[in-house]
Parts: sequence; C-alpha cells; structure tokens
Amino acid sequence: MTAMAKQVEDFLNTSAPFDLLDDDQKLALVKHAELIYLTADNVNDVLKDRVSLFLIQSGQFSVKDSTTPMRHLSEGDYFGYANILEKHTVSLNVSVDSPGLVYCFDAAAVAPLFDIPAIRHFFDGLRNNALQSQAIADSNSMWLYKGLTDAIEKAPVSVDAQTPITVAAQLMTSQKVSSLLITQEEKLIGIITDRDLRSRVVAASLNTHLPVSQIMTVNPAQIMGNRTLFDALALMTEKNIHHLPVIDHQTQVPLGMVTASDIIRHQRGNVLFIIGELSKAENLYELARLSWQLPHYFSAHAKKAGDYDIAGKILSQATDIMTRKLIGFFQQANGKAPMMFAWLVYGSQAREDQTMGSDQDNGLLLAERPNKVQAEYFSDMAQYVCNGLAKCGIKLCDGNIMACNPKLRLSLDEALEEAKQWVKAPTKDAIMHFNIFLDVRCAAGDVSLFKQLQQQRAPLMQQNMFLAALSRHSNEISVPLSMFQKFVYEKGRKEKDVIDLKTRAVALINNIARIYALADGVTLPNTLARLESLSERSQLSGRDAANLRDIWLFLNRLRWRHQLENNVTNNRVSISSLSSIEKHQLKAAFKAIERTNQAMVMKFSGGVS
Amino acid sequence: MIKKWIEAYSRVFRYKSKLKQRLRELDVYNTSFVAVDLELTSLNPSTTQITSVGYVSGRGGCIDLSSCGYHVINTTADLGQSPVIHRLTLDILKKGEALDEALHAFAPHIKQQVLIFHNAKLDLTALNSAFKQCAMPKMDVVYVDTLQLALYQLNKQHQVLPSNSATLSVCRQRLDLPAFNEHNALDDALATHQLFLAQLSELGVSKSDTLDCLYHTGAMGYVQLGGA
Repeated sequence: MTAMAKQVEDFLNTSAPFDLLDDDQKLALVKHAELIYLTADNVNDVLKDRVSLFLIQSGQFSVKDSTTPMRHLSEGDYFGYANILEKHTVSLNVSVDSPGLVYCFDAAAVAPLFDIPAIRHFFDGLRNNALQSQAIADSNSMWLYKGLTDAIEKAPVSVDAQTPITVAAQLMTSQKVSSLLITQEEKLIGIITDRDLRSRVVAASLNTHLPVSQIMTVNPAQIMGNRTLFDALALMTEKNIHHLPVIDHQTQVPLGMVTASDIIRHQRGNVLFIIGELSKAENLYELARLSWQLPHYFSAHAKKAGDYDIAGKILSQATDIMTRKLIGFFQQANGKAPMMFAWLVYGSQAREDQTMGSDQDNGLLLAERPNKVQAEYFSDMAQYVCNGLAKCGIKLCDGNIMACNPKLRLSLDEALEEAKQWVKAPTKDAIMHFNIFLDVRCAAGDVSLFKQLQQQRAPLMQQNMFLAALSRHSNEISVPLSMFQKFVYEKGRKEKDVIDLKTRAVALINNIARIYALADGVTLPNTLARLESLSERSQLSGRDAANLRDIWLFLNRLRWRHQLENNVTNNRVSISSLSSIEKHQLKAAFKAIERTNQAMVMKFSGGVS
Repeated sequence: MIKKWIEAYSRVFRYKSKLKQRLRELDVYNTSFVAVDLELTSLNPSTTQITSVGYVSGRGGCIDLSSCGYHVINTTADLGQSPVIHRLTLDILKKGEALDEALHAFAPHIKQQVLIFHNAKLDLTALNSAFKQCAMPKMDVVYVDTLQLALYQLNKQHQVLPSNSATLSVCRQRLDLPAFNEHNALDDALATHQLFLAQLSELGVSKSDTLDCLYHTGAMGYVQLGGA
C-alpha cells in the first residue's frame, strides 16, 4: 500500500487545479508520481523520453515544451501539459537555472483527469496563455442578482397535506407567516395563503377540520434555490402572485418562501435606495449621515464578483451626487455663481473606479478669469465643498489636488494654456504632475464649458511627441513579476507577501487605456469605456482590449474583496490570501499587462524607452 | 596489549577498505536509495523503542512517490515526553502493528539499497536492536548520513558550528528546499531523501561518479543489522 506523505498532500492541496481532487483521486495520482531533484547535471537523463505533467515545487527553470517560445518558470508552474493535451510529442527542452524539486505525474495517470471540465479548462487556459475569467455579464444590479438561498431568511414553514385546516392556521399565526407550504413525503405539493383561508374557508363556511389538501393551490409556481431574486421577481410578476416557494434544485425539498415584502425589504437595502436618499438630503448633516452608510452597505451586500465590478461606479456616482448637493447648499446660502463654472473631478473619481480608500481629486473650470470678488466666491465654494466631501467620508487629497487649491481654479483660457505647456515640455516630472489631470470628468456645473475645453484640447494631446513621452513614462513601472515569473512583493512592509494591485497593475492598465484613448481622440475618462470605444483605427487590437478589460475587472475584484474582507482602505493584497487558481490568474494577468505595455511603448515611442 | 591494539587497528583498516570497495561498486545514478526515518520513544540509544517508521526509495535523482511506506508500531515502552515531538499518542500507537510485523513488511524495501538517514547513529542502533529483538535475518547495509554530509559542508565554513545548524529543517533551508511539517516518520524520510539529492548537487557529484567520492566526508558507512 502506498502511503501519502503530508507534505505531498499539502502541496497538492495548494496547487490548482489538483486542489479540486478528492483524497482517492489524489492518492491515485501520487501512485504514478515521482519527485525529481532536477539539476543541470541530471536534467537531460531524467527527462529523456518521459511523457509527463511536471509541476515545479522549488527551483528555477527555462522550459521549451511546445511550439511557443521559451518560458522562465518557478514554483507553482506547470510544464509538459501541451504534449498530453495534444497527444503528440514535442521534445522537452529544459535548462536548470537553479536546481529544485519537480513533481512528475505520469501521462497515463493524468490523462483521465483531463476529462474533468474544471481541470481541462485550467490547462486549456494555461496553454492559450489566457486569463481564465468567468463571463462578466451580469453586473447590472447587485441586489437583484443575489442568490435566493441568501435572500430567504427563515426556514420553511410547512405542514403535511393531511393536517386539519385549523392546525395549519394556528401554525401560520404562531410563526407569523402569511403562507404555508404543503408537503407530502417532504416534497412540495401545494401552498395555502391568508387569502385562501379567507376565500376558500371563511367565505365558503368550510369545515375547518378538513385536511389542508382540500383548500390548497396544487402544483404552485415554484423556483429553484440556485436562481436569483431577480428571477423570482420576474416569475411573481408574470404569474401575479405574492408568495413563491423556493425548492432545492437537487432534492426538490422546499427551502423556504420568497414574498413580495421580502423583495421590498431587499429593495430598501439597495444602494440605489441610499443614492436616492442622498439626493433628497436637505442639509450637510443629513448628507453626511447617509454617506457614512455606504461602506456598511458595501460590506453587507457586495458578495459576488459582479458586485465588485460596479461598486466603484456606484461610489463615484454617490460622490458626484454629494458634490452636486454641496454646491447646491452653498448656492442656497451665498447666492448664484457670478459666472459659468464646471466642477471637474480627476483620477479615480473621473474613471469611476473609486474604492473606499480613494481621496478626492477635483478642480474648478471657470468661464473667464474672475475678478477679486468673483474669485473669493469660488474660493469659498471650493472650501465648502471639499470640506463637505471630507465630512461625507471622501478624504481630503494629500497632494492638494482639490478645488480649494487656487492653482486648480482655472479659467478656460488658462486651462488651455496649461495643456499647451504639458504638450510642449512633457518632462518626467511634468508627466508625474499632470498624469492625473488627463482622466477628467465634469461632475457638476456647466457641462458645455467642460466640453469646450475638451474639444480644444484633444488635438493637442494627439501629438506623437506627447504620446511617446506618456508611454515612456508608463514603461517605468513594471509588473511585480521577477524574471522567473515569481511574484515580487512590496518591500519594507510588515506583511511579507503583499502586492499593491493599484500602483503595480491597475494603474498600468489605466495608463494603457489613457494613451490609446488620447491617440484615438476618445474623451471618456473611464478605463473600461475607453477600451470599449476605441475605434477601428486604434492601434490596440480588439482582442487585447477585451483581454485588458477582463484583467482590469479581475484586479478590481481582488482589491475590493481585500478592502471589504479586511476592513481596510489600502490596495495591498496578500498573495497568500488568494486561492491557488487566483494566483495563476494573477500571474497571467501581470504577464498580459507587461506584454501590452511593451507593445504600446514600441508603437508610440518607436521602441525607445 | 600491543596485540589488542594491532587487532583493533586492523579491524578498523579492514572495515575501511571493505567499505571503500563496496562504494566503488555503486554508481551514484544507478543505485537505489531508500531514505528511512524512525520516530523513537527517547534519545537514549540503550532503551529507546521505535514508535513509527517511514521510508521512500528512489534512483537517479528521482524519488518514487508510490514507494512511500509508513508503519505505526504498537510499542509497550514508556513514551516519556516523545508524543509532544512526533504527536503519536498512546491511542494511536495502540492501533499500530506489532514490531515484528512491521519489520517483516519493511525489510524487503531496504534490501539491496543504500539507506539514507539524517543522524544515522541513533536510528541504526534502534533498528539493530529491533532486528535482534525480533530475530530478523541478519542484513548487511550501506548507509549515508545527511547530517554528516551537512556537517562536512558546515565545517568548511565555520570554526565553531552555530547551534541547531544541522537539523533537518535548517539543512533543507540552506539548500532552498521547501518547508514541511516535521516529526512524522514518512515526511521526515521524504524530506531526508530530497535533502540528500540536493546535497549531491551541492557537492558537485556528477552522474558518472561512484559513491566512494563521498567517502572522505565521513558520511558513508556499513553495518550489519541484527548482528553483534
């Protein structure tokens, strides 16, 4: 009998996709496995004529195992799968950069596992060098897409079909429910509601000792527990009913009941509800009180990946509303503005990818150069709004990129002149300084003023020299992967294995999207919208754009989950907190960002970096 | 007196030349190795009893994971504080096998192979007395001690060795081998086997060498299990 050493088991348990296997499958796999200490001396002899799947536990190797170029691999990486998947033999070419342990699973033992969809999918993904992300379609509204099993709070209240009507009615009263599930041998066969008791019992003077099966609605509409609140709402509207039994999709056993009032209750917990309330707020105090509910709201309701995708957008919209309300309050107290103005927001708020830790970045655009009185009015307004936002939980900007900074209250002419300066001398320091202003949106005030600025500014920013400087600047940040595809962790932190996903990865995608968008004349600030609205002429291929979008969403999910789970506002995600498959995805994401970034530098700066 | 000296000296000489000769016959890459680890009731060689044994064999730089074996032994000896170390409590041991059953299952796996131990002395003493106790057929074995290999390397670097510098974990760490949970006989055996392969690479032993290239480290030896 083969015993399995704990360290082997532990390693398999942390290596996607083998962590999916049950104990017997793992043992069967280990029975046909060897552990090799691969050194430069033995590598050729040991790997000769071996058709296997290899998984690196330690060491660093340069591997060519298929028609794709040489890869540099280290712990947690696989090689040799292409031969098994494609059932042909490309000879393995491995050179040892630093010796280490490699698990070697016999092809015959591994091949049957490839019939398991999740495992097949994993290796197909590796082979195609793609990011494995589930489709990101359903991100309309996180509350309606909540699973029914999460939405029903009570255990099902049910009785057997033979129960007398009186007993059933007593149970409904004591349990404080308005409907009752009727079962036979645990399976759902009918339902009774308050209304049935009224119309079929009291109104008809029926004997209340008869079994409930006499008055129940047989074969009621029902819904499986794996569906969403939205599905339930659709079905209830369609059938014009207020009570919908939820049953387990496998055992058919009732799980509970969804009622119209449940849906209203969830609606109240809806963030749109909070946003609706925000826009009704009549003073700063009320506004701040409601704003502080937002973080609680997110930590209570954002559960699925799809929720994180829109969380940033919601937070940005909420911030916009707060800004508009605050400007309104100020104008109520101090009178109308002496000229047209636009309240501009920059950086993450402009891109609509705010997280809990994002600070405010804003400025004012004025129709013309203000005189002393006018300047004072706008100074007061900026002061009031920025402080108001801070009271609402959007913290003040450390870099003083705020409208209360006089340098950020420019007239249209001044703003244009400033843009000309940027384009004329895009030095490293200058780019550092103005990069944030390139993602800009008008959150309040006069949009037409802002549009004028954008229209006049766009051709300037399409100039090659400018784009070349921007892309060179972007190339100065590299993804946190070493030559051997190991994660490179942040230095000087208390936690040893964290990576700041915002500065190390998300910012890079934002840069890429920004530069291609500027080149293409796209004026939108949102990264995903920019990627989507690039024209046919854009130099970024549709495939790369779609890939970047998936990666962006993936990274965003990781950092939102990190913030909500750990109740923090930073973006330093601990790699050990990720599942094994997420680690693989993250590596793939970093590699893809790196590739796209390199390609961009080649295109815009002629390869000079 | 002088006769005794001569006798002792010639015994050592015979042992050394016989060992050298055996080692010359063994190719590093064509010899089967089996790493063995015993968990014991105490560190006192004269009274210690085996509570569990783990082993795993391999050849040519590869460890065959299907050859992993593990036996818990139903010992009657006083456990002392040992369960703290290897986590085998009386309850677990009670369900174990009898010593002679385990030895009969174990013996075929080490036959004709070179044994790898981390700290061979204690384990060999315990194994030897177990062989005698169960009247097992005598068995000649060649062994290599990864502890001695590590000390050989360390002595080249240090005048005085830092304490705890030669434990299995620390030795592995020095050669960039992954951490593992210690003090399970099978895990320790597997970890020792990996350490040995890494040490061969560190010492620059190549595939064409025979085992006598390790003779000078003092880590090699042979012994008769169940003998005097």
